[in-house]
Amino acid sequence: MIDALPVVLNINGLKYEFEVLPYRSLLDVLRDELGLTGTKECCAVGECGACTVHFDGRSINACLMLAIEADGGSVTTIEGIAPPGEMTRVQDAFLEHGAVQCGFCIPGMVMSAEYLLARNPHPTEEETREGLSGNLCRCGGYNRMLQAISSVSEESTP
Amino acid sequence: MKPFLYQRPGSLAQTFDLLSEYGSSARILAGGTDLIVGLRQQSVDASVLVDIKGIGEFLPEVAFADGHFVIGATTDISRVCENEKFRATFPALVEAMETVGSVQIRNRATLVGNVCNASPAADTVPPLAIYGAMVNVGGRDGTRQVPVQEFIRGPRQTALRPGEFVLSVQLPVPNAPLGVAFARLTRRRGVDLATVNLSCSIDSVGTVRFAFGAVGPRLVLGIERSGVLADSGAPAGDRDAALANLIAATSPRTDIRGTQDYRSAMLLVLSRRILAEAAGRLDSGQP
Amino acid sequence: MTASQIGSSTRRFGGYERVTGSQEFVADLRLDGMLFVKLVSIDCARARIVSVDTSAARGLAGVVAVVTSDDLPQPVPRFGPVYKDRPILAVGETKYHGEPVAAVVAESKEVAEVAASLVAIQFEELPAVFTVASALNPLSPLVQEPELRSAGTLASTNVLSEQVFGWGDLGATEADLVIENDYCFPMVTHFAIEPHGCMVVSSSGGFEVWSPVQHPYLLQAILADLFDLPLTRVRVVAPDPGGAFGGKQNPKFEPLLCFLARMTNRPVRLILTLEESFQATRRTSAEIHIRSGFSRDGLLCFQDIESNFLLGAYADIAGRVVSKSNYLGCGPYRTPVAKIRARALLSHTTPSCAFRGFGTPQVAWALESQMDAAARHLGIDGLQIRLMNLAAKGEDVVPGDVPADGEWAQSVQKAASAVGWGEPLEPNHGRGIAVGIKSGATTGLSYSTIRLLFDGSVTIYAGTSDMGQGARTIFAQIVSDELGVPIEQIDVVMGDTSVVPFDLQTSASRSTVFMGNAILDACRDIQLQVRELAAELHGTALENVRIVAGGVFISEVKVSIPEVVQASLGRLRGELIGNGTMRRTDIANHPLGGRPAFFEFNCTAFEVGVDVETGEVSVIKHVSVGDTGKSLNPLQVEMQDEGAAIMGLGHTMMEHVILDESGRIANLGALDYRIPTSKDLPLSLSTYSIENADGPGPYGSKGVSEGAILCTAPAFASAVTEATGVVIRNLPLTPERVWRAIRDGASDSSTVEQV
Ligand code: FES
Ligand code: FES
Repeated sequence: MIDALPVVLNINGLKYEFEVLPYRSLLDVLRDELGLTGTKECCAVGECGACTVHFDGRSINACLMLAIEADGGSVTTIEGIAPPGEMTRVQDAFLEHGAVQCGFCIPGMVMSAEYLLARNPHPTEEETREGLSGNLCRCGGYNRMLQAISSVSEESTP
Repeated sequence: MKPFLYQRPGSLAQTFDLLSEYGSSARILAGGTDLIVGLRQQSVDASVLVDIKGIGEFLPEVAFADGHFVIGATTDISRVCENEKFRATFPALVEAMETVGSVQIRNRATLVGNVCNASPAADTVPPLAIYGAMVNVGGRDGTRQVPVQEFIRGPRQTALRPGEFVLSVQLPVPNAPLGVAFARLTRRRGVDLATVNLSCSIDSVGTVRFAFGAVGPRLVLGIERSGVLADSGAPAGDRDAALANLIAATSPRTDIRGTQDYRSAMLLVLSRRILAEAAGRLDSGQP
Repeated sequence: MTASQIGSSTRRFGGYERVTGSQEFVADLRLDGMLFVKLVSIDCARARIVSVDTSAARGLAGVVAVVTSDDLPQPVPRFGPVYKDRPILAVGETKYHGEPVAAVVAESKEVAEVAASLVAIQFEELPAVFTVASALNPLSPLVQEPELRSAGTLASTNVLSEQVFGWGDLGATEADLVIENDYCFPMVTHFAIEPHGCMVVSSSGGFEVWSPVQHPYLLQAILADLFDLPLTRVRVVAPDPGGAFGGKQNPKFEPLLCFLARMTNRPVRLILTLEESFQATRRTSAEIHIRSGFSRDGLLCFQDIESNFLLGAYADIAGRVVSKSNYLGCGPYRTPVAKIRARALLSHTTPSCAFRGFGTPQVAWALESQMDAAARHLGIDGLQIRLMNLAAKGEDVVPGDVPADGEWAQSVQKAASAVGWGEPLEPNHGRGIAVGIKSGATTGLSYSTIRLLFDGSVTIYAGTSDMGQGARTIFAQIVSDELGVPIEQIDVVMGDTSVVPFDLQTSASRSTVFMGNAILDACRDIQLQVRELAAELHGTALENVRIVAGGVFISEVKVSIPEVVQASLGRLRGELIGNGTMRRTDIANHPLGGRPAFFEFNCTAFEVGVDVETGEVSVIKHVSVGDTGKSLNPLQVEMQDEGAAIMGLGHTMMEHVILDESGRIANLGALDYRIPTSKDLPLSLSTYSIENADGPGPYGSKGVSEGAILCTAPAFASAVTEATGVVIRNLPLTPERVWRAIRDGASDSSTVEQV
């Protein structure tokens, strides 16, 4: 029998201490053990980006990281990017520009968009396309997402 | 995923201990972007994962010493791409690295892992070979260096011996003017595995080197010294014949990403293109 | 008074939840004490199951049950939306790659997975049918046992159904030019980002089922039938699907989960992997042989179409995909004479079902490519040949049925001008244009209840499934305008058969028209009640009370609806309830069971640039124009249109399910099956609506959401032909296929008779 191992994680600014089986992904732990179901699962092989979170400030696929690997680090999920009841400018712009259809890809997409703009507040269209290319949207909202991101970029002072 | 144990050694010595304790059922975990997929799809078996990200000896980022850049086994691809000096020195490799996966993948995947995965389609391998990359293999008895093209022996096969693992990849800064280019072909523009990928270099005495990926069980290297490829004024037929000669060493196969004849044809098309690009870089003084 | 909602780009209902991750999809729900189910299948399509050894799996700690068809009632129950042909688990043999042979139920996801890998299945591969040719070959094995098929001569063949439509006398028809070709549209998969899944609780003699199903009431009926329960004992809760596109219309594993919930007496949950979702359903592939006759000046003389659609091992709804799309097989044109023979063929492949466009993209691929072939042979422009044959409003498309219901030429002109038709092109660039029509929903009941609460806020009950099209938003907009309620005070309740009244289904772009009209009707019901109350209150006659734009006018005095309700109901409070329906009944002997309520018409145009050395195609411009009647929410119309366009680009440029010799899906999963990403988006993508308020829905609207996928492929291929001179009749147009056509000089190979 394989034992669970202790983990300390900062998630969305809160400290969590718990035990985890070594073969559980960060995604499984977020969703199944901590109830943070805003992060979604689709492909489980790093292709769709539905599981995108920020680990130590960088965007990653939570399905490809073991929870135990994250020990000592900090994770931001979609639940943690804006206070309850509020939205970031990216989230607001996604709605304003009609980028949201079924919504299943959207949390991951928002996390990728936030990461892109945090590193590069004024991306070119090509950079935006690259920044979102690890996130699949079968509803095909890409055009609207590009517009949303460019509107946020224009609002911020160059 | 099937259950496995997890170990996070703090030093190289502990890592070697673990590797000898668990033998071939241990797997090294760095970025995990290929390993976790393999475990999930049950194409890889492991009873223990040895996470090397806690090893104190590893240099965290991109190091430069003695005319070499050294990329440690835990340095992810994004970090390498962010290093301005590295970008300026190895532009074709950076282009290749930027095609690996998505942003999220590159934030975890390591350059060393891309090499160790020993996939015939790995995009970084042709330019690594062209730039003369060496793989630093660590074992209990010391370190040995293996050229990248010898390190990868076939699909999923490396030159690693039991108890060894890769500590870093190192790249010499070219000591003479060199133009290098990279190209790949995919089924869609977004993140995709390469149908073919290739890299070439040209130096000021007219030597041209090619490395072809995804067109055989391992990397195919070719060298052309006659000068015909360096001479953009040479008859197109002669230049194509020289390229065809190099490409003849490849053995592309048909799979779901492309057929054998398409791959062969694309090697010629893309070879012409990157040769021109590499020559342009040589002329402009870019490496 | 609020500004008019209709025609404004009101933000998506449920948008906040979707951007913040608080929208709960089925996989986000948890039930106390739930068990996890994992399906067990074999790595082969058709095989005889020799033995199943479950002992090792059963022995694993945490495993609650391992179930095979032997553990089910005998004969193993079968179900399906049309034919009851799909068994709960494979019986005796598997009929497609991924058909579950056993199911493991365990205390955790991991244990279920490990246990599933311990189930040892011995099997023997059997000869199988994977192609149209082999399905038609009388020597091929039968996919379904004849005794399970409904009687008739087809029962001992692999033809599920065969239909012939047509008009006029083909034999007596002459043409100056006859063009004959074969077209191929491969299998593609839905690839909703939310994988399929469901949860079931067995309770008090019935079931509660959570499933992101498009047709909750159909699922309820099928389960009630399978378990011989009254409808009241089957409650289906349908959380909003995370994308469905037709793939989540009909039950897949809900019946199995009901059995497992009963056997274990615990809540059970099954969330498929993406790979398993690929194996659960797909688009019906097609091979179409078509002869088209034209006059010298480009007018259509006849169409003679033989289409063979390859279904999977079980029929699902695919028979209707074939009949509905082929019924309009001649497209939006005036076709003097037509003969269409359409076959639905069974095979040992993934059961195919509805997929956005419902067969029309397959048919339009052939038909529109023929229009281009004719245009080339006659030296006519691709735009002109379409304009010259397009049915004008009121003209027959299928003689005797609903005539053309829109000014379709306006859409075509708009698309042509937006793509820059006729302007000079760079070398290796080309433009193409194509049109498509799909028959809208035909029959069925949509029912809505609206509660106007005492404070003036409103709850709408609608059995529609909000799967990305934004149905809630549209319904709220209608009610906001009709009852004068601010949009923020409206709630829309969906997806629970125990609470929400009946809606036949969410498909065929029907919701705005069918449910929209039902809601409008319910609003009228409330308006009448309000007028009665106001008349009573003011001691005036009913006809002196009018409701205009949600405001109540008593002679010249204007009050709001809540004011009337509050004044009338007084201290003891209360509410008003309005009911509304839209219902279209069956028409006997109509090939579709009923006439289309509307047509969904689209014109798509492209400009592409081709790298002639590699075959890579860059999409410079992609234009889609839909005939929407009235865009109730322009933003939602545009986003769905763009979404359909991108999905169309997928099956046009890169998507196809590849089978190996054993019928296994070779590109199973996201690593090998490619769909468009942000980088594959055209350099410019624009969509437009033609609005003449000529639809049967509220305010003259028609259904949208499928239009832009109908003719993506032929418009794109036509642009590639102009760019390169080569003609390709198999999808997708991958770089390799385009390269090969260029290398082989594959110019138009149509069989042509010129008289
Ligand atoms: S679920 Fe992690 S990338 Fe798809
Ligand atoms: S909104 Fe549905 S997948 Fe992106």
